[in-house]
Amino acid sequence: MNSVDKKALKRESIIQTALQLFSTNGFHKTTIPDIASKLGMSVGNLYNYFSSKDLLAQEIIRYTSEVLGEKIREVNMLDVSAEEKIHKIVEIYFSMAKEKPEMIEYFLRVYLSNREVFSDGCEGMVCVSGFITEIMIFFDDAVSSGELRNQDFFSAFGLFMGYLGGMVFLKGEGVLPKDIAYYIDDISRNIYYALKA
Amino acid sequence: MKKIKIKELIEKIEGEAELDFTIEDGRIEDVKINFGFYRGIEEILQGRDAWDALVITPRVCGICNHAHLIAAVRAIEDGYQNAGINLLLSEKAKKIRSFTLACELIQNHMKWFYMTIVPQLEAYLQIDNRQNHALKATYLSSTVTKALAIFAGQWPHSSYAIPGGVSCDPTHLDLMQAEALIDECIRFVEQVLIGMDMAQYLDISSVSQLHEVGGDLGRLMHLIGSSGMATLGQSYDRFIVFGESLLSSSGKSIATAVSKVDPRYVQESAQDESMAKAVTYKKRLYETGPLARGMVAKRPIIKSLHKRYKDALLTRIFARMHEVSLLLTESKRLLRELDLNEPSCTLDIDTRCADFEGTGIVEAARGSLIHQTEVSGGLIHRYEIITPTQWNLSHGSGDEHGIAVEAMIGSKSIQEATFIFRTFDVCSVCTTQ
Amino acid sequence: MGQVQHSKPKLLWLQSITCNGNTHSFLNHPDIFSVFSGFEVVHHPVLESEYTFHDLAALKIPCDILILEGSFIEKGLTKNGVEVSKMITHYGNEASHIITAGTCATFGGIFKQKDPEQISGFCFDIEQQTERYEKFASKLISLPGCPIHPRWLAYVLMMLSQGKKIAIDRLHRPVELYGYTVHTGCTRNEYFEWKVDTKGYGLKEGCLFYEQGCQGPYTRGSCNKILWNDTSSKTRIGTPCFGCTEPQYPKDRLFVTRTNMGIPATMPLGIPRRAYLTLTGVVKSFKIKRFSQRLLEYDQ
Repeated sequence: MNSVDKKALKRESIIQTALQLFSTNGFHKTTIPDIASKLGMSVGNLYNYFSSKDLLAQEIIRYTSEVLGEKIREVNMLDVSAEEKIHKIVEIYFSMAKEKPEMIEYFLRVYLSNREVFSDGCEGMVCVSGFITEIMIFFDDAVSSGELRNQDFFSAFGLFMGYLGGMVFLKGEGVLPKDIAYYIDDISRNIYYALKA
Repeated sequence: MKKIKIKELIEKIEGEAELDFTIEDGRIEDVKINFGFYRGIEEILQGRDAWDALVITPRVCGICNHAHLIAAVRAIEDGYQNAGINLLLSEKAKKIRSFTLACELIQNHMKWFYMTIVPQLEAYLQIDNRQNHALKATYLSSTVTKALAIFAGQWPHSSYAIPGGVSCDPTHLDLMQAEALIDECIRFVEQVLIGMDMAQYLDISSVSQLHEVGGDLGRLMHLIGSSGMATLGQSYDRFIVFGESLLSSSGKSIATAVSKVDPRYVQESAQDESMAKAVTYKKRLYETGPLARGMVAKRPIIKSLHKRYKDALLTRIFARMHEVSLLLTESKRLLRELDLNEPSCTLDIDTRCADFEGTGIVEAARGSLIHQTEVSGGLIHRYEIITPTQWNLSHGSGDEHGIAVEAMIGSKSIQEATFIFRTFDVCSVCTTQ
Repeated sequence: MGQVQHSKPKLLWLQSITCNGNTHSFLNHPDIFSVFSGFEVVHHPVLESEYTFHDLAALKIPCDILILEGSFIEKGLTKNGVEVSKMITHYGNEASHIITAGTCATFGGIFKQKDPEQISGFCFDIEQQTERYEKFASKLISLPGCPIHPRWLAYVLMMLSQGKKIAIDRLHRPVELYGYTVHTGCTRNEYFEWKVDTKGYGLKEGCLFYEQGCQGPYTRGSCNKILWNDTSSKTRIGTPCFGCTEPQYPKDRLFVTRTNMGIPATMPLGIPRRAYLTLTGVVKSFKIKRFSQRLLEYDQ
C-alpha cells in the first residue's frame, strides 16, 4: 500500500470514529483529544488531517451523504418502477438507521442542530449534494416516465425525506412500538400514493 | 368582339401569383388573381400553447413578420383584459413597440420602391438603367432593421413583444446607437430618396409644391406624370383602417368623408379557385394600406393628390413612400421620449390566463392586420388571421370586383395592368398564409 | 457580357413552402452584393436576375449552386403549372452543391406541422434521412435556422466560391457555425452559472433557462457569437431561444421550460444529468449579492 492510500484510509477511520463520538456524546461535548485517544493517535497528527473540529464535522456530513447517495444511485440504475424504487429507498434509509444509526443520528442531531458549524463551507446543499443529486435523478426519471405527478421539487422532497427523517427520529427517541423495518411497506405505499401521477 | 384569355405569372412579389386576364377590345375586362400554396398557419396553431402564437405567426411572412408578432401579442392582451386581468402597458413598452414596427414598415416600403416599383416602371417605359436599385433598398433596410434589432434582438422573426410589454431592457447606450442608425436613414432618404430636407419635405401640403421633391421619388413621380400614367389604377375610392398607429387612427373614408369602424363587422369568405379568402366590411370591399391611412388621417398632401388623381396609382405610390419620412421622424421622437425608468413588462411572471378570447389589430406595411385567438385550458382552440392583402387582392364579392381587380380593369395592356397590380405591394405569402 | 462573368459559378435560389424569411434575412447582409459578386445569380426570388420564373419552371436554367428555401412536398405545390419538387430534383441533379437554407428546407420546420406525413425537409425529415438523402448527400450543406443567419450563408457561399472544403457534422451542418450552442456568448451566462433565474420579462438580469423556456444551452448555432443584424440576439434582449436551428423545431410550449419536479427536462448539450445536478445543488446553496441586485445602478 502506498502512502497516499494509507493516508486516505487513516482519514476515513478518523471520520468514522468522530462520527460515532459526535452522535453518541454530542458535538459540543466531544473534543479533538477524545477522538485522537480513541484512535490511538496524537492530537498533533490528527490536526494534520483536519485543521479544526468544524472542518471534521463538515467532512463527516459530506461522507455520509455520499455513502447514502451511492446506495440510492444503485437504485436509480435499476430498471424497475418508481413504486419499487420508493420501496428500496425507504428500505435503504431504515436499514441504515438500524445498522449504522450513527450516520442518520449525525445528520439529525449534529448537522441539523448545529447550523453555525456548517455555515462556512457547508452552505445549503453543498455538503449533501451527493445524496440530493440522486434524489433529484429519482424524481426526474419518475416524472418523465409518467409515474409521479409533476410538482415543485421541494414539495415532493419534503414529503419523502421529512417523513423518513421523522420516523428515524421517533426510533431514536425510543417511542416506536415496533422495529422500524415493520413500517417499510406501509410507509413506501403512503409515499407512492402521495406522489403518484 | 372576341374575348382573349391570357395567364400571366407575376414573380418577385413575396412569392408568386398567377393572373388570369380576360381581354376584350384591347382592354382588360376582368382579372382572376390566384395565389399559390396554403400553408395552414392557423391550423398549425390549434392545440398549441396560447403564447406559441408569438413565435409561430411571424412565420406567416418574411417581410411583415413583426406586424404579425404585434397583432398576436395584442390578441393575447385583449383576451387577458376580457378575462379580467388588468394589463396596463407602460408608455415605454408602447413606444418601443411603435418604434420597432415603424422600422419594419420603413424596411418594407424601401424594398418595394427600389426592388419592385422603380425597376418595373423602368422596364415598362423601356428606360435603360444599369443602376443597382436593390443596393439602395438593402442599404437602408439593413440599417433600419439594425435599429429594430437593438430592441427586438433580430429581424426577421423576433418574438420580443410579450403580453404586458416587451422583453428587452434597453440602456441609454442602446438608445444612442438606435438614434444614430435612424439619423443615418434620414440622411439617406434626404440625399437619395427625396433630394431635400426632410422637415421641409414634410411641410409640403399640396400637389403644386410636389415639383420640389427631388431624388428617386421625385424622378419616379415625374416619370409617371410625363408618361401619362398618373390617373391609371383607380378603384372604388373606399378606404378602411382598423388599427391605431403613428400614422392614423382607425376609420373609413368614402369619397373623403371619414367615419368610425367596428372590427366586428368584418367578414371573411372563401373564394372559388383560390386559397385566399376575401374580406368585406358590412359586405363592401375597401382598400387598406398607406393610402387608406393617409385618407383617414386627412393628411394634407395625400388629400391634395387625391383631389386631383383620386385613388390612382400615383396617389397610392406616393402615399406609401410618404410614410417613410413620417415614420423616420416619428421614430426619432419616440427614441427621445423613452423613459427608461418605466418597466418594460407589467405582467407578473406567474400570472397566466387559461381561458380567453381576444382580437389584436395592427397597421402593417400593407394595411390592417387582424389576429383573433380563442383559448381554452391554455391551448389555442381557434386562431384566425386576416391580412391586409386579403382586402386589396380578393376577386371581389357579389357584383363588385376586388379592389386591385377594379384598378386593373380598363388597362390597355397586361404590362400596364401588372404594374398597377404591383402598386398594391402584393404579398403572396400573407394572402394565403 | 464578358467571358469572365460566365465562368463564375451559377447560383440559383429556389423557394418551396416558405415565408420568404430566409430571403429577407439574407438581404440584411451588409455586403450581400459583394458576396453575390462571386457568382452569376441566375435566379433569385426578389432580386433582379438573369432568368425569369418561366425559364426556371421550364427547367432551362443552368445551375451550379442551388439554394433551397422552404419545406419539401412531393405533390401539391405547383408554380407555373410545374411541381416544385420536380424543379428541386432537376436543379439538385444539375448543381454541384445544394444548400438547404433554413430549418424548413433542412428538417421540415414550422410548415411541416401542417401535414407531417407529406411535408419534410429536402434530405432530412426531422433527423431521419429522406429517400433523397443517398442521392444528394455528397453535395448537401445544411443551414438550419428560422430564419437563416445572413452571415452563416455568406460564409458558406464564399467558401464554395473559393473552392474550399467545408467541414460538416452528421446532419451536414458546417461545424464552424453549429459547433457552438446558442448559449455560447450569451450576456446572461453568469446568471446561468449561478442558477439565478430571471424575475420577469423585460429585465436584463437573470437566466431564461429555468422558467422561460430558453433552449440556448442545448441548441446548436452561433447566434450569440455572430450577432443578428450585427447587433443583438434573442437571449440578449430577454427573449428565450426557441431552438429554431434544431431538427425538432418547433417544440411545444415555447415560453415554458419543461421540468420534472423543478429539474429541467433537457440538459445542456452533452452535460450528464448527474454532473449538472451536482453542480446545481452546490451553486444554488450560495446567495451572490451581486446577482440579487440590478446590474446597473444609476442613483449612487
